[in-house]
Amino acid sequence: MKKCLLVLVALSLILMFNACGKKTAKVSPVQEPVVEKVEEPTTQVEKPVLSEEEIFQQKSLEELNKDQILKRINFDFDQYSIREDMKAILQANANWLLKFASVEVLIEGHCDERGTVEYNIALGEKRAEAAKNYLVSLGMNAAKIKIVSYGKNKPLVQGENEESYFQNRRDEFVITKK
Amino acid sequence: MKMRRTVLCLSIFLLCWQLGGQEEITIRIKEGMPMIPVAMPEFQFNEAAGQKSDLKSAIYETIWKDLEFSRIFKMVPREHYSYISRFNPNAINFKDWASIQANILISGQLEITADERIIFSIKVFEVASERFIFGRNFGGKKDLSRLIAHRAADEMLKHFGEKPLFTSKIVYVSESPSDKDIYIMDYDGFRPTRITFSGAIDMLPSWSADNEKILYTSYRNLNPDLFMFDIYAGKTELLSSGGSNYAADWSPVAEQIVYTSSKNGNAEIYLKDMKTGKEKRLTFNPAIDTSPCWSPNGREIAFTSQRSGTPQIYVMDAEGSNIRRITTEGSYHDSVAWSPDGMRLAFVSRIENRFDIYIFNLKSNEISKLTENAGRNENPSWSPDGRHLVFSSNRSGRYQLYLVDYDGRNIRQITASGENKMPKWQKSSK
Repeated sequence: MKKCLLVLVALSLILMFNACGKKTAKVSPVQEPVVEKVEEPTTQVEKPVLSEEEIFQQKSLEELNKDQILKRINFDFDQYSIREDMKAILQANANWLLKFASVEVLIEGHCDERGTVEYNIALGEKRAEAAKNYLVSLGMNAAKIKIVSYGKNKPLVQGENEESYFQNRRDEFVITKK
Repeated sequence: MKMRRTVLCLSIFLLCWQLGGQEEITIRIKEGMPMIPVAMPEFQFNEAAGQKSDLKSAIYETIWKDLEFSRIFKMVPREHYSYISRFNPNAINFKDWASIQANILISGQLEITADERIIFSIKVFEVASERFIFGRNFGGKKDLSRLIAHRAADEMLKHFGEKPLFTSKIVYVSESPSDKDIYIMDYDGFRPTRITFSGAIDMLPSWSADNEKILYTSYRNLNPDLFMFDIYAGKTELLSSGGSNYAADWSPVAEQIVYTSSKNGNAEIYLKDMKTGKEKRLTFNPAIDTSPCWSPNGREIAFTSQRSGTPQIYVMDAEGSNIRRITTEGSYHDSVAWSPDGMRLAFVSRIENRFDIYIFNLKSNEISKLTENAGRNENPSWSPDGRHLVFSSNRSGRYQLYLVDYDGRNIRQITASGENKMPKWQKSSK
């Protein structure tokens, strides 16, 4: 939250500075180098806002998924409730999905390699369903979301340690239609 | 010593298991039943067979290993044969064979014909009575030598009132880095044959009661759907889609299957009539219900449910009523397999983050641990005679299939290449 405020303050300062700079430029064209310097941050600020749409327009489904426009979330061992620290990621995913309302998404639920094949299918499904419900609670249209469970069939990384297990206990958000 | 250690571990586990009950727990490790000592001197052979020493020893060793595996027969060690006079099939000195404690004597003869076919015959004698008991002839192509050997060994079982075992098959999943496919192989790990080529993940195969079809789950349509493959017709049929569809088990007494499906939103157990296609939902609980398994008489179904908060083993009547909980302690049990005699349930439990296979005796309520201190052990499946199980384990670093006797003895790895998982033994052998 504090970070957001700081960014906002910085942005407004830059914009103010920019406005002042332009005025100064009109009044005295002799100070040209100053104007140039001031204009640079203006373009930097606008860039991400423009590019998110550009990215969506220009990139294919495969490229969007490869770039992980929608971020993964991870789960606790044996659990399928959404972790507090994963809610911000789901919020960001929801924001993007709400912005591009034509998008359809497939949520893949995955498990780490511990546990039985059968029970992990059910557990992975519960994980995918938990993310779906959360996105719907944030305003997503449930009809645009499908889920599938891979259980422990498709680990993201190999390794018998908690770090690997954590990475494998995940939901992936695959864009299936633009 | 080893036995004592097992007992100790068992007691610790049992204490954890039945903490609530406060009843006195007795542990019996079953000693094997008395086994019948069998001697099998080297086979006689014709000139053509004599030149094929690989084939000759393959048949001999296969029969030897089958009989040794059976827990019905005990092979008299070959070193003992050197103490007695050389075996002569035309004038058997039974006193000699009695002196090295052989009760049964197998005399074999192998011929290879001019057109490269095998003719193999066995004659079986009872040593004490000096009596011929039975004889059998087998013929076939050379590449069927292992099958001929298994058939001959099965004849021994049949004669002693047992059902055939050595010609039984195991269906399983073999995995390469890019794919998971379904294979069928002999019970001893030889002669694997690939049966699915979907290019997608195929998994959790199981046998129909007549052993002619394989039920399995495939992601070929980008969703875990349930399929049936007819081995002889080579046809694949979609049985259930929508949600996850898996863990199918064919009824031993009727043309029905039970399986898990979340087609209505939650993992529940369904019964499908394979003649009419009609379905009946058996469980109605917001928790996960999965992994159904028929009792051998078809009257009950064991399954896993998370309705208490953690996955536990339950049994219900085949209509879905009269649900009772089997496992009362521990926080993770699944993959239940009902023994062919109806007396025992094998399943996977997680105890202190170790995954091992346990056996629950339904009559005595005793629990024994089948695997110990060696990787994760999963998907137990009984042999048709209930004396053995096959399971998967990553004890070697990768998942491979292992055989083990009902009492935890004679663990033997039967696959070695790639990764191999989710085995299911045929429920009967023809």
